[in-house]
Amino acid sequence: MKPPKFEYRAARTVEEAVSLLQEAGEDAKILAGGQSLVPMLNFRLTRPSHLIDINKVSELDYIREKDGKLAIGALTRERTIERSALVRQKFPLLTEATEWIGHVQIRNRGTIGGSVAHADPASEYPALVVLSDAELTIQGPDGSRTTTWDEFFVTYLTTSLQPFEVLTELRFPLPKPGSGYAFVELARRHGDFALVGCAAQVTMNGKGTCQEARLALIGVGPFPHRSPDAEAMLKGQKLTDKLISEAGQKISEEVEPEGDMHASTEYRRAMSKVFTERALKKALSRVQGGK
Amino acid sequence: MKLEGKYTFKAARQKVWDVLLDQKVLASCLPGCERLEEVAPDQFEARLKIGVASVKGTYDGKVRILEKHPISSYRMEVEGSGAPGFVKGEATISLEDKGDKTDILYSGEAQIGGLVASIGQRMLGGVTKLMVNQFFKAMEKKIQ
Amino acid sequence: MSMHSISLTINGKKFEGQAEARKLLSDFIREDIGLTGTHVGCEHGMCGACTVFIDGVGVRSCLTFAVQADGTSIETVESLAKDGKLSPLQEAFWENHGLQCGFCTPGMLICAEELLRENKNPTEQEVRLAISGNLCRCTGYHHIVLSILAAAKKLQGAAQAA
Repeated sequence: MKPPKFEYRAARTVEEAVSLLQEAGEDAKILAGGQSLVPMLNFRLTRPSHLIDINKVSELDYIREKDGKLAIGALTRERTIERSALVRQKFPLLTEATEWIGHVQIRNRGTIGGSVAHADPASEYPALVVLSDAELTIQGPDGSRTTTWDEFFVTYLTTSLQPFEVLTELRFPLPKPGSGYAFVELARRHGDFALVGCAAQVTMNGKGTCQEARLALIGVGPFPHRSPDAEAMLKGQKLTDKLISEAGQKISEEVEPEGDMHASTEYRRAMSKVFTERALKKALSRVQGGK
Repeated sequence: MKLEGKYTFKAARQKVWDVLLDQKVLASCLPGCERLEEVAPDQFEARLKIGVASVKGTYDGKVRILEKHPISSYRMEVEGSGAPGFVKGEATISLEDKGDKTDILYSGEAQIGGLVASIGQRMLGGVTKLMVNQFFKAMEKKIQ
Repeated sequence: MSMHSISLTINGKKFEGQAEARKLLSDFIREDIGLTGTHVGCEHGMCGACTVFIDGVGVRSCLTFAVQADGTSIETVESLAKDGKLSPLQEAFWENHGLQCGFCTPGMLICAEELLRENKNPTEQEVRLAISGNLCRCTGYHHIVLSILAAAKKLQGAAQAA
């Protein structure tokens, strides 16, 4: 199908984007990479009055290390993140998550801010925002504010972004020394929406004890699932296969996935255990120098 | 798609029954209800604008209340269609005393078809539950 | 609805036109510019048939509005053959049965071209990953993969000869 009619405005700066949003009113939408929004427009599932294009807002396209955090501008393309040597060196979990997103030509256009603001329950980047307690900077008519995932993600495709606000920057705290990471995902084909996915980051001390474990799962709820209980089970312990399996079991009991024609509730629940275990084992092997 | 659940209201059964079947309350509690008219006894025509975030569609439909057994149970049939697709469903709603509170148990089956189902099916179940909860939460406010 | 002026370079030539904001780049290329090599399959980014280069980067033209391409340089499948002669990649598709009905071919060629511009000596796995976003209902992909690997060999040979 073809998109419904809308008015189009292109912004050059964040400030201009905010004022264009205000002029356009509450039915306006931001157009970033468009890899989720344009399909919905083509199917006429969404009918915004205006699209405010931020693709030329070059001030939002950057990756920097700043105060122990990786600061990424919202308009940074997924492909840029995938190829960034800085990301690969400082926060390789982000590189690995990016490789799961769609295909090269989707990642060429898709942006990190767009992915997080769209808040698809199967998207990879929201999982990393949740896993690492990233800070999100949002600019609106009254200036800028900073928020975290627990306030940001509301439900399916819904965030606490207000009508005239733009997500501008994501800041990921860098993993501590001695950390390993993994992003594993189950999809029908590579690049399809994840049925279940798990991001894991474990930090070990020199004696092989887990100092900190972080886990975030996608595809099993309205937004990524974080499990303080499973993380607490792992903290201060040796990560044996038995303990990893218990953490996976814990998570599979916590999540409430919806079934659909591709995967039932029960299957997703079972896979949330399997993929938690795989992610933890891979993360652990990477602390020990594995690939 | 099967729909099943329970919701507890902090009110006596008679009060809950009255509020559940009050047209005005219904109109203000149904998510996105733009219009609700009684066209015959226990038959309503409605227009609902529903969805999540910016993915919203307007549906025109009919609601019928059947097999009323005052203050213990009734059956509801819903049928509607709009540009994004169609909805057809039925549910049995029963009320049970729970001390000075009332449990509402609902169980039913909904068919959702058309564009919204083929594109959005992986979120459909979750979003439907979300809206059922929205409905009961709004009802709870009216009852208190 | 207001019309937008669009001025762009298409396969090295200037083009100026007008379009509604909602006009997809894929439709603009086919209907306004008149180049029908770019195919429109699914219109939601799943099939890859509409892939073109915008400023050298492969994108789904069905997920981009024409107005967004204002001021850019676009290359479509028609840009691959030079002076009526197929490019080495196209030749390889010809020689290795890389197509049957041909519907997916423009997108396959652009995605393969993008891969080969960046990676002169891809492995079979890398080739398969590079076309993983493109659907083909005829070939079972095997001959497309062989074609792209053969094209890489041809291009290496040509580079060595030069």
